[in-house]
Amino acid sequence: MKRRAKINLAGKYLVLSVASLLILLPVLWMVSTSFKNTPEIMNGKITWIPQEITFEAYLRLFQDYPFADYYKSTLIISAATVLIAMAFAILSGYGITRFRFPGRGAYLTFVLVTQMFPSIMLLIPFYKLMKTFHLNDTYTGMILVYVSHTIPFCTWLMKGYMESIPTSLDESAMIDGYSRIRILIKIICPLAMPGIAATAIYSLIQTWNEFMFASILINKETLKTLPVGIGQLNGYYRIQYNDLMAACIISSLPVVVIYVFMQKYFIAGLTAGAVKE
Amino acid sequence: MITVNKHQYKPVLTIHQKDRIWGMLFVIPSFFALVLLVIYPMLNGFYVSLFNTNLVSRNTYVGLKYYGQLFTKPEFGNTLFTSLKFTVLVVCGHFLVGGLFASLLNKPFPGRSFFRMILVLPWVIPEVSIGLVWKWIFNPVYGIINYYLLQWKVISEPVAWLSNPATAFPIVVFISIWKGFPLIMLLISAGLQTISQDILEAGIIDGANRMQSVVYIYIPSLKPVILSAIILDTLWWFKHFTLVWMTTAGGPESATNLVSIDIYKTAFEYFQYGQAAARSVVVFAICLIISIIQRGGLREKKG
Repeated sequence: MKRRAKINLAGKYLVLSVASLLILLPVLWMVSTSFKNTPEIMNGKITWIPQEITFEAYLRLFQDYPFADYYKSTLIISAATVLIAMAFAILSGYGITRFRFPGRGAYLTFVLVTQMFPSIMLLIPFYKLMKTFHLNDTYTGMILVYVSHTIPFCTWLMKGYMESIPTSLDESAMIDGYSRIRILIKIICPLAMPGIAATAIYSLIQTWNEFMFASILINKETLKTLPVGIGQLNGYYRIQYNDLMAACIISSLPVVVIYVFMQKYFIAGLTAGAVKE
Repeated sequence: MITVNKHQYKPVLTIHQKDRIWGMLFVIPSFFALVLLVIYPMLNGFYVSLFNTNLVSRNTYVGLKYYGQLFTKPEFGNTLFTSLKFTVLVVCGHFLVGGLFASLLNKPFPGRSFFRMILVLPWVIPEVSIGLVWKWIFNPVYGIINYYLLQWKVISEPVAWLSNPATAFPIVVFISIWKGFPLIMLLISAGLQTISQDILEAGIIDGANRMQSVVYIYIPSLKPVILSAIILDTLWWFKHFTLVWMTTAGGPESATNLVSIDIYKTAFEYFQYGQAAARSVVVFAICLIISIIQRGGLREKKG
């Protein structure tokens, strides 16, 4: 029996290692390419460790291309979207799980159906409406678009998580004379932290990485987001793969780092919020 | 997340009558946000689909003409078929790979969180970056795939993987599975964590073997998670755009022309906004039908 358990564990490690390799190799190749100079990429040999490690691709991104601007606008748009979407999701999650009111069931169905809207369906109307309301080429316009993308799923995650917090806590706080708002801020929010973190990470990753809407709705070079900037590098006649891979890395790094540090919360929040019987 | 249950959660806090008003007050902001930012644009999209328009000067009412054309011309049918094929393969791939790794990572063992972190990476890295690194890997002249395959004498001359209809489609499916399986893995892991140890032990005491506990304990307990995950994953990947746009842009010869790419091109390359809007209304209807069928079908099996 003990022998069998050992063989099982060895098999597990083998499968997991192969899978990890399949995931890490493309990532490592991306890193390796980004530190090479252009002749080394084009010499037809494969070197995993660059013969000459150079940061020139990274420098070019900030000197020859406006990647500092791309970074700035991605940061502003994502941060604002996450904050606004979270505020909406927390409020409605609290409302749905704590109160019975006319239209509650209808509202839940409504959120569910909006989640099923294919985003492509909103692309043309948004393109038109942004022009009508003079919101094209503004941060506000992009933030509104992304808020619309993230509210439905965030509401579902928050509702799921808040259901796991017993309502007896609200009741005893009310007996102590707390107002509804104070209960939400002082008692429910701290307890719902893993759920809030999971939802925030989800909406951050969605927003930070979005390409299709940003590529259509932003024309002004300085307002473009990182995915759009990278997409442009890919569109040039002669693609500079070291610049391209460097751009891919600098745009992935923030979300990867945030995920690595927050993954405990993310998994805990997802477990409680997403898996509801 | 979608919850599918007969016993809806019942809030007990109805001490005061004014609670009803409080409840509405909390929900109203996001209700209005969704009406303004989702429902209104959607209706507007339907309105656009009735016009032959470039959104600036040309604006002729054509009624349901574009909807009729979708059924008489074969192109859109082919696009739908490609998308369905793509979605079925990708979603099955996600559940096979995601399910396998969720079960491998279910019980604690040394290195578990390390492996989980690596396996989740594809989901965290932006789609644009993932699409482009694979495009670089499959590059016909400088790509590493061709380099190694040539060196190992698997192929005798470089292959243009992404410009050949026969190879481009499977590669795009592979990349999409690679990118999307972690979320399914996390959701299934989350579901596995909620199965109580008592039931599993009771099963073992009753003499259930491994196969039987999978069929009678794991699958029924995971049903709600799997159901919502299948619906969401199908909808997400049916309308998928970025990965395919980055690697093949719908080509070669429309081998990877998914609905989103088709609509995007119709609108922003050919400037046929009305036609594109009509197609997206049809896609929405299909998404709705898919989710209704899936929910019905999976619920029935539950018995």
